[in-house]
Amino acid sequence: MKKPMLFDPSQGTRRAFLSHGTLGVGSVALAWLLNQDEACAKNKFIERPSYDLKPKVLPLQPRARAMISLFMHGGPSQVDLFDPKPALTKSDGKTYDSKIVFSFFNRATKRLLKSPWKFQHHGQCGTEVSELLPHTAGIVDDICVVRSMHTDINDHGASLRRLNTGGSQPNRPVLGAWLTYGLGSESQDLPAYVVLTDPEGHPTLGVKNWTNSWLPPVYQGTVIRSREPRILNLEPPPHLRGRLQQQNLEFLRELNRDYLQKHPAETDLEARIASYELAARMQVSAKEALDISQESEATRKLYGLDQEVTREYGTRCLIARRLVERGVRFVQLFLKGQPFDSHTKMRERLPQICRRTDKPSAALVKDLKDRGLLDTTLVHWSGEFGRLPVSEGDPKVGGRDHNGEGFSMWLAGGGVRGGRTFGETCEVGHRAVVDKVSYNDFQATLLHIFGLDHRTLTFKHNGQDSGFPVDRPCRVVHELLS
Amino acid sequence: MGRLIAVGLGVLLGASSALADQAVEPGFTLTFESHIRPIFRTYCLDCHGSEEEVGGNLDLRLRRFLLRGGDSGSAIEPGKRDASYLFRRVRDGEMPPRDKKLSTEEIATIGAWIDAGAPTARKEPEELGTGLQITAEDRAFWSFQPLRLPSVPPLDDSTRTSIDAFLLAAMREKNLSFSPDTDKLTLLRRAALDLTGLPPKLDEMVEFLADDKPGAYGRVLDRLLESRHYGERWARHWLDVAGYADSEGYTTRDEVRNFAYKYRDYVIRSFNADKPFDRFVIEQLAGDELVTNPHDQLTPDDIEKLVATGFLRMAEDGTGSGASNQDAARNEVIADTLKIVSTSLLGLSVGCAECHDHRHDPILQTDYYRMRAIFEPAYDWKNWRAPSQRRISLYSEADRARADAIETEAGKVAGERAKKQKKYVSAAFEKELEKFEEPRRSIIRTAYRTPGEKRTEGQKKIYADYPFLRIHGGNLYQYNQKAADEIKEYDAKIADIRAKKPFEDFIRVLTETPGKVPVTYLFHRGDRNRPKDPVGPGGLTIAAPEGQRFDIAENDPDLPTTGRRLAYARWLTNGQHPLVARVIVNRVWMHHFGRGLVNTPSDFGRVGVRPSHTQLLDWLAMAFMEHGWSLKWLHRTIMTSTVYRQTGQTASEKEAIDPENELYWRKPLQRLEAEIIRDRILATSGQLSTKMFGPAIPVIENEVGQIVAQRAERAPTRKGETAMSLGDHNRRSVYVQVRRSFPMSLMRQFDMPVMEVNCEKRSSSTLATQSLMLMNGEFVLEQAEHFARRLTHESGEEPRGQVGRAWQLALNRPASEREMRRALEFLTLQTVELRAMAEVADKNVLDTDREKVAAEKKDNDAAKPAPEPLSPELQALTNLCQSLFASSEFLYVD
Repeated sequence: MKKPMLFDPSQGTRRAFLSHGTLGVGSVALAWLLNQDEACAKNKFIERPSYDLKPKVLPLQPRARAMISLFMHGGPSQVDLFDPKPALTKSDGKTYDSKIVFSFFNRATKRLLKSPWKFQHHGQCGTEVSELLPHTAGIVDDICVVRSMHTDINDHGASLRRLNTGGSQPNRPVLGAWLTYGLGSESQDLPAYVVLTDPEGHPTLGVKNWTNSWLPPVYQGTVIRSREPRILNLEPPPHLRGRLQQQNLEFLRELNRDYLQKHPAETDLEARIASYELAARMQVSAKEALDISQESEATRKLYGLDQEVTREYGTRCLIARRLVERGVRFVQLFLKGQPFDSHTKMRERLPQICRRTDKPSAALVKDLKDRGLLDTTLVHWSGEFGRLPVSEGDPKVGGRDHNGEGFSMWLAGGGVRGGRTFGETCEVGHRAVVDKVSYNDFQATLLHIFGLDHRTLTFKHNGQDSGFPVDRPCRVVHELLS
Repeated sequence: MGRLIAVGLGVLLGASSALADQAVEPGFTLTFESHIRPIFRTYCLDCHGSEEEVGGNLDLRLRRFLLRGGDSGSAIEPGKRDASYLFRRVRDGEMPPRDKKLSTEEIATIGAWIDAGAPTARKEPEELGTGLQITAEDRAFWSFQPLRLPSVPPLDDSTRTSIDAFLLAAMREKNLSFSPDTDKLTLLRRAALDLTGLPPKLDEMVEFLADDKPGAYGRVLDRLLESRHYGERWARHWLDVAGYADSEGYTTRDEVRNFAYKYRDYVIRSFNADKPFDRFVIEQLAGDELVTNPHDQLTPDDIEKLVATGFLRMAEDGTGSGASNQDAARNEVIADTLKIVSTSLLGLSVGCAECHDHRHDPILQTDYYRMRAIFEPAYDWKNWRAPSQRRISLYSEADRARADAIETEAGKVAGERAKKQKKYVSAAFEKELEKFEEPRRSIIRTAYRTPGEKRTEGQKKIYADYPFLRIHGGNLYQYNQKAADEIKEYDAKIADIRAKKPFEDFIRVLTETPGKVPVTYLFHRGDRNRPKDPVGPGGLTIAAPEGQRFDIAENDPDLPTTGRRLAYARWLTNGQHPLVARVIVNRVWMHHFGRGLVNTPSDFGRVGVRPSHTQLLDWLAMAFMEHGWSLKWLHRTIMTSTVYRQTGQTASEKEAIDPENELYWRKPLQRLEAEIIRDRILATSGQLSTKMFGPAIPVIENEVGQIVAQRAERAPTRKGETAMSLGDHNRRSVYVQVRRSFPMSLMRQFDMPVMEVNCEKRSSSTLATQSLMLMNGEFVLEQAEHFARRLTHESGEEPRGQVGRAWQLALNRPASEREMRRALEFLTLQTVELRAMAEVADKNVLDTDREKVAAEKKDNDAAKPAPEPLSPELQALTNLCQSLFASSEFLYVD
């Protein structure tokens, strides 16, 4: 396995590694890193752990070093996209005799609704994909479609939280924050955790989707805007460029260090110093990372930048690749609101959002593979739940209601074995029945892929060790890994 | 068996703190009521107890029901966990059937309890109604205990107030003591920023340093509490929990609320006047019910009370701005309003009980709808009023008469206009018709004059064939430009006439429609389309002693309104309610120390954090009420205490004992809130405008996508904009428009909340993007230049004087000798660098054609002439000022 950017503890001591890195954070942090064990043994409170973004020593051998999450808000319909159900087609219009959890009672029906779209086998592996996703169909040999996802909540907000934060209570840290906390950053000059938002607006739950919550603030997601200037205030004015700014920042650092010395226990003050250093480096490197004009015509075409319908999402997928290439740990793409939430007019709405995202998503996987990055980059595609096999409202103009009991997700790269499907739902695609994977299982697996252990990755909060996922039976799904 | 119980105990000491309310002591036993039922409540009772019908006929609400069992027989066999059906099902992960499984610890607790013989704490009740009910254990929870005044522990030399005595007692148990008092200047800065959100002025610093008479600090507090800026600072805290916004939200239109600012001003005035908090609550919940005059004859006092109900109008409301599902949108206004009321005043989130009995707190679903019934006469979703119908005009009779007269005048002109237009349209039609010969001409004319529904097929075809048959006012210009222009002149004339109407001012209020009292129903699983039993208004059952549930009369015959909200508000503030006073004193404490005594200020329930100092919280709540619910009394009492006056600096031996400073052995460091960072920058640069009150300063998106306060130079263009509102963009941040979809960039970066509902507690982030904003952001650069100019103006050209004053103004203390030296070095370095840069630039311009460059520049930047570069000295000083703004010492208060 190729993993050139990983810090491999077997290659030398931590001290040796650190002497290579650019050290910027306060001296307390450095002392702690260098003498962590001794310091803790003496008195863990005097030299308090300071939180930083340096690469961490991992308990397990990692398979991936970066992740790109393509979040498909609203609940993509598994039976119309990834999970063909001949039995459902056959029973179209018949009453479904099983307990169903509805969210929208007023339009609820128990009439089974076949998928209006055709499925075909693709690739060497023969995975079936709906005609709505012709480009995703082209990468089936590289992806693993997990058809047996399930969660117990049908509400968008709570379900999003459970997938993103590991628990359904509000105000917990999100996956990206946990990953950067557990792994540190590989980039000295770009944020470890980047969020690419939709130009149309924020997703459901808004900024809570990238909150560090009670994890230290250095682990919060940095939003890169969807329009130019993508990062505000990146450009210094003429009288603050070059040496002038260096002098300025040096002067500021001294002020801030003096203040930290007065309050050595305040981790926030250390993070503040680190954030200026990161900001200074970002001025140069973020600009370069976001400059997609450096990409070839062929690449731009691959992502659909030449077409109106895919240009926006394609640009963000391309930026995601450029960021990961430069050492960003976790990139998450969001859509405005919840476009996959097709309660009504599913026949119009589902194709619309598929057209917008299908080509760029597939391009991302192809491009990462071509560049040799797919081995160490995990790509994730899913919503917060799926949809019911019965129709909501009129079968012609209606849609499908929320369904947490069975839905599909796909993963590519990062040590996940592609070219297959995993797990099954029942005959009509309502409930996961074979090789079920819960959110917490998925999260434990994710951490495992990154060399972390879900049982030991914790943070002390309100006097208790809190983890991700929230402690309840869950397992690493080893069968997903290659 | 002893071993097994030990497992249970370990569990209770560990992760499941939500269960472990009681101290674990030797001889401790697990009981159904204290340890098992809460687990069932969280995971099982939805199907096995909360409704009349229970799954598998198994009801888990009482131990004896477990023994009786359900379809699969007895659920437990006391003493034998492995023989117990319930335990096996739970252990094997079969129950609960969905994803939310019990934790290993919780399963172990159940096992240990069964092994111990499945004891109960007391004899179980003979009868039990339907649903979850409220148990003795629920009632024993700390926040529902009636308030009583705790006895104050002994004072000593280090304590100044009873607050100190409580804190010291807890510290002594751990061999801790207060840190020494901080120095005078730090204390002054702390107090000033805390109370007014503005730094102390130079003369105030000098005066305080010179005042060594006793009571000097008390006099400072007096002055700060009397400052009008106090209200601006503390109103903002209240506006957070009220969910204040100047826009309606909900839809993408996010319509602006032009008159919401009156509620903001009301809150500022109330804080400045130290309005007793109980009265403040009553006015906000029921101000309209206190007003007896008809709404067209309001006194200023009436208006104030009506404006106070703006509190209940803060929830997002899309019902007048294109919400596609009206019923959903209306019910969301109600649900959000209940959330605002309950989190701000009760410190509880009642929202969970909208669909089912609360899974953690003793809030029954009926309680939720009883609360809803209090507000439903005003928020009647079946007879809804959109925001535009919930305003009261402040027109006087004379204004109204004048407006009517003007409207009549405008109407006359409009009549003329209509006549003219009809004539022109008809003429244009006839002219077009001339292109046809008879009899075709008559046929077309007949078709034209036949009303739509009476047209024959042939006539319909004629209509389709000849577009000119559709001549109307709007396309008249295509046939007769001159006529169209004349009509346009009429429009202008009408607009001119209407513009003479007196400005119609409105207040946003919550009122009831007299005589209309809707019935409130409990919605099955929260679904408004499945109403069940009607529910009457009343308070939370748990908030009153057992058997004394507070019920409100359906309709108060002495009031034109139902009187429900007024009765509710009076009950909340009667001094007996266990939550209201605790919640507000905790909030005030939180703002002074950065965290609350209960660190989940809007969750005093089981999921929330337990108080760190229960007795102190109760003492504060009782004393606060005894002192007439005076917030200023509360501030003064807290701020004169030793705990507040301590240094913020750490001491390693104390840190070793209590690293998180949970016992308050030092004053915690706090980052300033977004608004205060901006205000402090403006105050330091000398640009702050201290004008109070009035319409919000609009925000706009500038050319690079930053959302900024709109500058004064632009003329008002949008509807509702007045020259007044565009007056001062450098006013305090509390006056900047809070548009949900348009949060001001600078403040958003520093965690200003975007109001989805309300904000119970702000976060405090540290991000590279904040740093970029302080390094390169337009606002900071501009203010740094103003600050540099101010320094030059006030202390001359001599760098030493400038630096000294910079430190005094920005950091509110003198610069140390080392800082002075460093700053002077910096200025020299930068000046040299800038001078070299200027020479290079000059030369470049010489090399090319100066005039050509100037001409190009003029073309490119016609709107915005390039600013003259600053002299190297002033630029260097500006850069120094910017560093001070960006420094931690400026952004935090210690």
